[in-house]
Amino acid sequence: MRTVTANDGRMLARIIHLAHRFGCTYTRVAAEHRGATYCMELAFAGPGDALRRLDAQITKLLADDRETIA
Amino acid sequence: MHRRTGAAIVLDTLESLGVDTVFGYPGGAIMPLYDALYDHRIAHVLVRHEAAAVFAASGYARSTGRPGVCVATSGPGATNLVTGIVDAMLDNVPLIALTGQVRTAVMGTDAFQEVDVAAITHAVTKRNIVVRSIEQLEPVLRAAFHLATGQRPGPVLIDLPTDVLRALEAESVPLAREPAPALCERPRASAQALDAAVAALQRAERPVLIVGGGARWSGATEIFRSFASRIGAPVAATLHGLGCADPGDPAFLGMLGMHGWKRANHAVAGADVIFALGMRFDDRVTGDPAKFAPNAHTIVHADVDAAEFNKVVRTQIPLHGDLRETLVALDHRLARAALPSFEGWRARACASGEQLPRDDARSEHLSATDFLDALFAALPADAIVTTDVGQHQMWAAQRVRVSHPQHFLTSGGLGSMGFGLPAAIGAQIAHPERMVVAIVGDGGFQMSMAELATLRRHDLPVKIVLLDNRNLGMVRQWQELFYNARYSATALPDNPEFTTIARAYGIEGRLVDHASAIPGAIERMLESAGPMLLHCACFPHENVWPIIPSGKSLDDLMEPVPA
Repeated sequence: MRTVTANDGRMLARIIHLAHRFGCTYTRVAAEHRGATYCMELAFAGPGDALRRLDAQITKLLADDRETIA
Repeated sequence: MHRRTGAAIVLDTLESLGVDTVFGYPGGAIMPLYDALYDHRIAHVLVRHEAAAVFAASGYARSTGRPGVCVATSGPGATNLVTGIVDAMLDNVPLIALTGQVRTAVMGTDAFQEVDVAAITHAVTKRNIVVRSIEQLEPVLRAAFHLATGQRPGPVLIDLPTDVLRALEAESVPLAREPAPALCERPRASAQALDAAVAALQRAERPVLIVGGGARWSGATEIFRSFASRIGAPVAATLHGLGCADPGDPAFLGMLGMHGWKRANHAVAGADVIFALGMRFDDRVTGDPAKFAPNAHTIVHADVDAAEFNKVVRTQIPLHGDLRETLVALDHRLARAALPSFEGWRARACASGEQLPRDDARSEHLSATDFLDALFAALPADAIVTTDVGQHQMWAAQRVRVSHPQHFLTSGGLGSMGFGLPAAIGAQIAHPERMVVAIVGDGGFQMSMAELATLRRHDLPVKIVLLDNRNLGMVRQWQELFYNARYSATALPDNPEFTTIARAYGIEGRLVDHASAIPGAIERMLESAGPMLLHCACFPHENVWPIIPSGKSLDDLMEPVPA
């Protein structure tokens, strides 16, 4: 399970697409809008290498997301 | 009181951010912006296809380090930008794409030329934003510039509904004259990691430095050279790292990877410590990653993007930070550290006399590699070279001797055919005083040759070197080597007479079809004050050597079989 916070509400869709691309499935997705951000709880299943790659890409997406925009 | 439209605010804000030129193509939804451009100080370069607008903006950005800006209308205009946006994403080019959008009131009704470009480009931009109100325009544009240039650069798309562009501001507000402060601090490599990197170097016997495109975008060329000189280890470059190392430095091994120099690949294969600086271990660089640098016990990887660490190759010492600052910090430490001499290793790795292998076979036609050797020997030191994608690109990358990474512009990560000519247009706009040479193949040139009209319209003296082998040469080469010479859809025997096409656009075109004509043709081109196309009718079966088959190790390189 990974809890992430994003400014861009579309981040959830982006992460789901990536999981699909890497051959992973999602086993839990929960998201809510809290104040100015979106809080998500995510869990995925899949091959270890794909999960590692997915995790790295989520980290990268969140790093970009943190370069806050108006 | 003068109240500006949203379109005027867009242009005024761009101007305040240092934009002098935008590249674009008009259409319905973006017309308010074009109306504002009509008498604005920002120059507009009209291309003949939106794909050229984004590649030209990319050429502008790659040659200056500043964001390039392209403009297109909604629907097909926006979707025609997508390839260039992906290209910018993969090559970390700071780019701002402005797209028209249907009115906010009809979004979601499948209106004429409505497309959800934000959804389409979500995966291939650093960020995209649909602007919903005139008040958002200026802050969004300023933030977009910081995002495009911040940390790891990349493209940002701003979707502009027509009604937002046409709206009038509530009251006239003076623009902020200074760009907003950086939104996010760049990461800095930790002291512990820097110390570990220095210690690895002190223990090393056969270190190799690999410099990549990160050095270009962080402005690290100068400090990289100082750092490399202090260490005295051999240096290899990725495609986008070319120009970071001094090409005249005897420690410079050239490009590594699939079509890299044998000595560069052998040095990496034999190294015990690798310093990978601003590079992402692209598969064209590593071959089989499991066999990359098999003798290296330590790989030090410096990158601004933490997601690059251990993505492809296992890294023992990650240095997460802006590369220039990382190198400054390393150099500072090295100035006080005792390092072993790597002179013997460097001498072995950089053994002079290596020649790039080439096909013996010749015909009455011209050799593309002969032409490029002569061209690069004759070009002014500050010339900017762009390439398209394919064999000519790799021949050029093997041979070009640029002294700065902003002098060699090529589509690396995406490998977008059609890039070369529009990128040269963008570079020439940014550097009107410099010589800009577009090296293109016959396949890629035919994807963008309508831009000859752009050269003529704007009187841009771009020199086009068209290496025409009447084939999609790189694919043909792979068919020859790996697909039993089954040449499926790669022959182009029906190519047009390119010099005639150039002349039809009012551009001088000359045919070069034998070796003896090379010196005169290059001399004529260099003397020409205007745009020019040199149509080089080349030997059709010349291959790029060496080549490492896809997925093989750097030791598995293939060379031509002697005749």
